[in-house]
Order: sequence, then C-alpha cells, then structure tokens
Amino acid sequence: MALFLKTLSASLRNGLCNGNGAVRTSPMISKMLSTEATTTEEKRPTVRKPNAATRSALTDFGRYVAECLPKYVQKVQLTSGDELEVLICPEGVVPVMQFLKDHHNSQFANLTDIAGMDVPSRKYRFEIIYNILSLRYNSRIRVKTYTDELTPIDSCFEVFKAANWYEREIWDMYGVFFANHPDLRRILTDYGFEGHPQRRDFPLSGYVELRYDDEKKRVVCEPLELAQEFRKFDLSAPWEQFPNFKYANPATEHIDTSKPEEKK
Amino acid sequence: MASREAVRKSLQQVRPILSVDHNEARRRVLNLYRAWYRQIPYVVMDYDIPKNIEQCRAKLREQFLKNKNVTDIRVSDMLVIKGQMELKETVEIWKQKGHIMRYWKESEEPKPTDFLSKFIAGQN
Repeated sequence: MALFLKTLSASLRNGLCNGNGAVRTSPMISKMLSTEATTTEEKRPTVRKPNAATRSALTDFGRYVAECLPKYVQKVQLTSGDELEVLICPEGVVPVMQFLKDHHNSQFANLTDIAGMDVPSRKYRFEIIYNILSLRYNSRIRVKTYTDELTPIDSCFEVFKAANWYEREIWDMYGVFFANHPDLRRILTDYGFEGHPQRRDFPLSGYVELRYDDEKKRVVCEPLELAQEFRKFDLSAPWEQFPNFKYANPATEHIDTSKPEEKK
Repeated sequence: MASREAVRKSLQQVRPILSVDHNEARRRVLNLYRAWYRQIPYVVMDYDIPKNIEQCRAKLREQFLKNKNVTDIRVSDMLVIKGQMELKETVEIWKQKGHIMRYWKESEEPKPTDFLSKFIAGQN
C-alpha cells in the first residue's frame, strides 16, 4: 500500500471537486482523461441535473482507482449521472478501503453506511455496499462487493471503526459472516430469533409469532400460519408500464478503464 | 483421467469460514457441545426455568442431533458460530426465561399427521 502511495501520488494530482463545485485538476491530466458528455442534456425541471464538473472529476478518479488497484477493482461505473461506484472483488475490501481512506487524492475518511442487497438468482447473491465520504474533497463514492451465504468477507473494522455496528447489522439482516470482526453478534433482532429477515426468501410475516401466555406467565413463541386463498399472479401486462422512462438515461454507465495503447 | 480433470474443474475453490478440514470442523462442534454441556448447571441455576439439568442436557443433545447430517464444513462452521453466539447470550443473561423455554416449544400444537386428524383439523 505504501508503495502505491509513493509511486502514484506524484503521477496524478487530480483529486475531486472542492466545496464550490469547482474541480481541482491539473490541466494536462484533464486534457488526457476528461470524458466527453455521452448522455443527452436533461431538460425536465423536476429531474435533478447531474453536475458535469463532478461527473468528469469522478470519472477520472474512478479511472485512477482502477489503475492503482487493478487486482481488486473489477468495474467502475456511474449511476444517476454523477455517482461513482467502484465494484471490487470480495478479497479486496480491506486494501481498497485503506487506499481510499489514506490516499492523498481521495481521503475518504468517513464510512457513512454499509448496505446489503440480496438477489437470490445470482451466483453470489449478496451485494455489500460501502458508502464513503471524503470531507476534504466534498465527495461521496460507493464501493460494492459481493458474496454468498457461506463466504466470509473481511471486516473493515481496522480501517473504519464505524464499521463495527454496520457489519453487525449486515450479519443480522443478511447472514453474511465478517471475518476478523471484533464483536459480531445480533443487533436488531431479538435473542433466540432464527433466520435473517432481509433475505428475499424470508417471508414478510416471519415464521413465528409471540404472545404472552397467562398460564405460563411468560412470552411464548409459536409457528405462524396465515391461511389465505390460493392466488395466481399474472405479472406480465400487455401495455407498456413506464412509457416516460422509455428513453431515460441508463441507470449505470460503465467507465472504460482499459489503458490506451502507447504510441511507438 | 479426463473424468478426473472434469471433476477437478467442477469443484470450486472456496474460502473457509473457520476450519479447513473435516477433523477440525468436527472438533469445533465437539468443543461447542462441551461448552454448552458444562454451562447447563449454571443456566438452570441462573434462569428460573421449570427444568432440571438432565432435561436440559437431553434438549442440548437433541438440538445438536438435528444437524447430524450436515457434511459441508462451511455449513457446520456457520452453525457452530451461531451456537457460540447463542451460548454467549445465555451465559451473559441477555436472554430471558422465555427465550430459554423456547427450545421446548411447549405451547405448540403438533401438526396432524394421519388422515383422520388432518380431516378434523380441516387440512388436506
């Protein structure tokens, strides 16, 4: 990591945008890496317009991160116009977070949140999303990684102390095990609760119900049965459901991180 | 030879949770069982539950035997981790009487199994 910092901090001083929304980019770099506007200009008054300066700065930063950590970064993308997402492999959580926290040009010193996501049809069904904030450059990015029910992810507690409870929450809600976590236990569910309620295959009503039993003078737990008629959902509609979004900008835009070929 | 290659390719290299082989996983399970077994007298003493030590130990054995068919090392590791967390909750008295008594499922009515009782219960 120190090697990264030493060799590369000199090579790029692009940084991100500062408080005024202006961009701190050296002219040579911006000429080399700046992105051309690919999406159409947003004209509707009720839709937030992505900031072009932030956008280009984040694109360049994403490319820089991908260049610095080629082993871990798998993809860099932009969502809703100007939000940077760095998609990494599960082994790289600690080094990537350490890099983003300590590198002079990023300084993402705050871990705002860790979120989980469950898509049961995928091979690695859980996505873990780290939202980090750089107070220095007034910038937020997202780091995403993936796992399944049994693959442990390295805890980033040693990088961000704030990760302690967030990771406990992910463990409790999704059942993702964090290796090297100092105090991994339940945080939201009751003692004796079985299962992980935020998984998609966990029913909305749960499996058990609790009630106070007057004879036993304590709360008892019983399996829940809600009888309902058999219903058949026909979810495919013959008409178009969201015509206004037919020509909307794509949700995510891939940032090309491949290096341009050197001229000889 | 070709089939062996195919098997090797279809096997996936996974990251272990705690144990790397079956022996280690088995030892972890036995250690957890032993820890629970030794803790049970104190549990009976601390919590005001209408059970004695033998009944608790029978329940402990039953709970472990529920998962006797688990062969995957990672699944058994995950179960051991959860059992360890549960033991800690019990030892620290974060749980209450109701949580301990939940293992016995006393208020649950068993589901009807034979035809006549299913018919009376209105199930089919």
